[in-house]
Amino acid sequence: MALNSAAKVRPAASWSHQLTLEGRRCSQCNAFAVDSRKPGTANSLRNHTFPSRHLGVPQRLSERRKPAPGVRASGEQNGADTAVKEKEEEKVVQERAKPTEEDAQLTLSDINPVSLGRRSREFFNDVWKRLTDLGQLTRSSPSDVDTVLIGGPMCEFTIPDAAFTTVLVAGATGRVGRILVRKLLLRGYTVKALVRSSDEATLEKLPTVVQHVVGDIGDPTTLSKAVEGVNKIICCTRATSMLSGDLTRVEQQGVANLAKAFLDYNHRLAQKRAGKSARSKVTLARFSKESTLDEWDLRDGVEDEDILGKLYDGGMDAELELTEREGERSMGLFQGYVYTRGGFVEMTTELKLPEGVSLSRFEGLLIRVCGDGKPYTFVLEMEKWEGGPPMEYTYKFPTRVGYARVRLPFSDFRPGSPDQPPLDPAQVKRMSIRFEPKKVRAPMMLAGAPAQKKKKVMAGRVDPMQAIAEIDTSSEGPEFVPGATETDLGSNRFKLEVDFIKALPAGEEPDFILVSCTGAGVEEEDREKVLRAKLAGEQSLRNSGLGYTIVRPGPLLEEPGGSRALVFDQGNRITQSISCADVADVCVKALHDGTARNKSFEVCYEYTSEQGQGLYELVAHLPDKSNNYLTPALALLEKNT
Amino acid sequence: MAATMHACRCSLQTGASLGLTSQRTTRHQESFAALPKPVKSEAVGRSAFLGAPAAKHGQFRNDMAVPQQARVGKVSDARKVQCAAASTAAVMSGTPVRNTSILVVGATGTLGRQIVRRALDEGYDVRCLVRPRPVSAEFLREWGATTVQGDLTKPESLPAALVGIHTVIDCATGRPEEPIRKVDWDGKVALIQCAKALGIQRYVFFSIHNCDKHPEVPLMEIKRCTEAYLADSGLDYTVLRLCGFMQGLISQYAVPVLEEKAVWGTDAPTRIAYTDAQDVAKWTLAALRSEKFEKQVATLAGPRAFTTQEIIALCERFAGQDAKVTTVPLGILRVTRAITRLFQWTTDAADRLAFSEVLTSDTVFSAPMTETFKALGVDPLETTTLEKYLQEYYGQILKKLKDLKAGSRQGDFYI
Repeated sequence: MALNSAAKVRPAASWSHQLTLEGRRCSQCNAFAVDSRKPGTANSLRNHTFPSRHLGVPQRLSERRKPAPGVRASGEQNGADTAVKEKEEEKVVQERAKPTEEDAQLTLSDINPVSLGRRSREFFNDVWKRLTDLGQLTRSSPSDVDTVLIGGPMCEFTIPDAAFTTVLVAGATGRVGRILVRKLLLRGYTVKALVRSSDEATLEKLPTVVQHVVGDIGDPTTLSKAVEGVNKIICCTRATSMLSGDLTRVEQQGVANLAKAFLDYNHRLAQKRAGKSARSKVTLARFSKESTLDEWDLRDGVEDEDILGKLYDGGMDAELELTEREGERSMGLFQGYVYTRGGFVEMTTELKLPEGVSLSRFEGLLIRVCGDGKPYTFVLEMEKWEGGPPMEYTYKFPTRVGYARVRLPFSDFRPGSPDQPPLDPAQVKRMSIRFEPKKVRAPMMLAGAPAQKKKKVMAGRVDPMQAIAEIDTSSEGPEFVPGATETDLGSNRFKLEVDFIKALPAGEEPDFILVSCTGAGVEEEDREKVLRAKLAGEQSLRNSGLGYTIVRPGPLLEEPGGSRALVFDQGNRITQSISCADVADVCVKALHDGTARNKSFEVCYEYTSEQGQGLYELVAHLPDKSNNYLTPALALLEKNT
Repeated sequence: MAATMHACRCSLQTGASLGLTSQRTTRHQESFAALPKPVKSEAVGRSAFLGAPAAKHGQFRNDMAVPQQARVGKVSDARKVQCAAASTAAVMSGTPVRNTSILVVGATGTLGRQIVRRALDEGYDVRCLVRPRPVSAEFLREWGATTVQGDLTKPESLPAALVGIHTVIDCATGRPEEPIRKVDWDGKVALIQCAKALGIQRYVFFSIHNCDKHPEVPLMEIKRCTEAYLADSGLDYTVLRLCGFMQGLISQYAVPVLEEKAVWGTDAPTRIAYTDAQDVAKWTLAALRSEKFEKQVATLAGPRAFTTQEIIALCERFAGQDAKVTTVPLGILRVTRAITRLFQWTTDAADRLAFSEVLTSDTVFSAPMTETFKALGVDPLETTTLEKYLQEYYGQILKKLKDLKAGSRQGDFYI
């Protein structure tokens, strides 16, 4: 019954306004308009049952009439006005209509019955709302809540950085991706999704505000559009099949393509500003140019100038030349032998950086070499003071037969002696690639040591400075004749082809987050294939120069996240599974986390054993609204992994 | 089915051997025994609606105090309930539903939207039941939820929305202009029956704190009856009783203080422990995961209870200006209610004002949360306090005003 009356009241109210709109005179509204300007008329209210006399109605009413109409002429907004209110309002209007009908000082807008009706309705809505609000406990009308309370800074998910960040999610329709996209949106990020097709079934899985780009990470040509305007990339793709071709295309080549497209985009962007992208690498040496060779010198030396060194001086030699192969660009070929105990040879150059560039904004070096399976040492020299003796910092890297990029983070360079200060990249003056044979059993090899020193013989126990002087007098690479035969590569002989040396830019946060896997959830027969492709993909990301975070989750579960403790580990030791939602959460948290940059780690649920026999140490428990578990957990993990 | 029965017998034996007399255990046995029978809820519902006393609930607080010995029984209890749920599901539906699929009813409301956000963030697939409207809740789809059109007042629209759903979170309530019984009673009954018929495995219902102590307030009485109806339906339910949302205070007090408009307050001595709707959403989803909340009634309250006067004082402090307070004596509210009750077409209005009865009864609207926090596995320190909430609100607003280089008289952008 109540509903019936409500249905009746509403059209009646609007009908009276309708009439006046058509030009007929509506005496009621008119009178009310005049009346309401006079405070004295509020007396009429007292006769009315509506108990608003205590509530400051007259004053408020007269206040409201003052501002120009139109300031608040949005009566339609009150969608929530009740039939009751209107009824009340009608009554009051009638009551008020009586006393003063012939007051005259009006502007046209004041008598406009439509706006008057609106205003009066609005007013009673307000009074009514306030009255009911007083008596309410658990509700507030949803219209009260908007920008600040929802989605604004007061919302618990919102991250300040997010408003200026566009994230590209590759694999956005996958298990992790779907949750990831939602999480990013809730935090205020602009999200782009890379989808293979834009059919309805795919788009249904994506929230409506996500901008989708059709493309495939296996196809580099489709990616340039996807990375446009993107600040960060999260890649959680998965090959659709277990075929080796698919795996290589997606897991390995795909990641490389995406990273390359991203770098290219940044580069293009930087070129527009006539500068260099802060994310792009800087080439320190490239041996495809012939002139590069002139900048490089050869040196040798003996590590400990002890008696043994003198005893077993089998001699050493090295040469540096450019390779010449059909249809390939040339490489720097550094080869030779070292038979002197404790001796080493190195190719070295003074560090020359482009104008305005200092190594301080770089975090490491990237070299592309083809080795022979022996370890080499990369040496950086820093001057203690101007003209002072150089201090060495070394990083030993393994090589393999075949081309490989090797990442040499500055933080991993070891000082030559313990009292040296830590390496300051800005102070580096010289870099060298050094070969020193394994020290063990060097005397044994001595027997077969050929003392053939074809061209430039570098005496073992020469002072380094002297050696430089000596080499300077000799001419470089091309004049060297290949020393040993290529097949004879004992542990004292070496051969290293160097393609380029580049500096990797430093940054605060990860640019590219890759969701890889531990292989634990994969079928036994496919595991090796999958892992190989995944690891190759990881490797190409590491060497891209982008700030990376590689997340290797345990087997994924489809269950709500955020409920169980997570274990972060390095070294493939994890045993448990993890929910997709938690993986997504780790990715989102890593986006703006400096400790996550350049780290690879495994993550899974905590192993819950018998009560009270926890295997893991509780790293942190932070009672905070933005409970960031990631930073303390990752702070303990190794960087550049 | 045999396995279920066996598990049941076992648990009964364990319970008996331990000499359990806990209210909870007995109630579970009852409800389990009642499970296979057809739902007798209709009768109970009607009687409850007429004001007859409904079945007495075990309060959550009592259960948490179960001594150590009883825990054995408790574990098997939980397992039993699981078995029951599993078997019903197996009978009802052929394909298993993912436990990440939830339906939120009332998703556009203050609490509903927070629950949607929280659930999406925790990796649930959220479906929202929204009423067909010209401008339908677009923001829900923007966040990544899916929406289905339906209306609690039109029971025929419900079954489709419930297909493939594991959990129903019901935070709907009628709009102020609607008759109070239409959504909050008829609609809820339809939804519960539908959920039962479709084998929904968890039903979360939001009630009002102390709803069993104020039969004179229609909404509270309806909530109490719905609780009873739910308990009787055989569904695996969780009832969460709420006190009041901080979000509501923004429009009621915080904005008027800032706009230097009159603030209406009552002189009621009642204290209400307001909660942040975001906290409630967080706790709700924690309760979803926890087996301890199956077939339970729990009250969610804020850290401290405030009177209206205290809240206005807080607002004045954070806004840095005095409020024009208009104190409405409770008598006025009561009189208004009495008047509106006289006419049939204002009964809804009268119902809306009925809370004044609660305000006059001089109670503290709060509940101890220690045990609940323990059961939820939530850190009590993470709870938002009203001071912090208002401070944050004013901080944001004043910053925004500063950015706009506008005086606080300008209006319009406060909320």
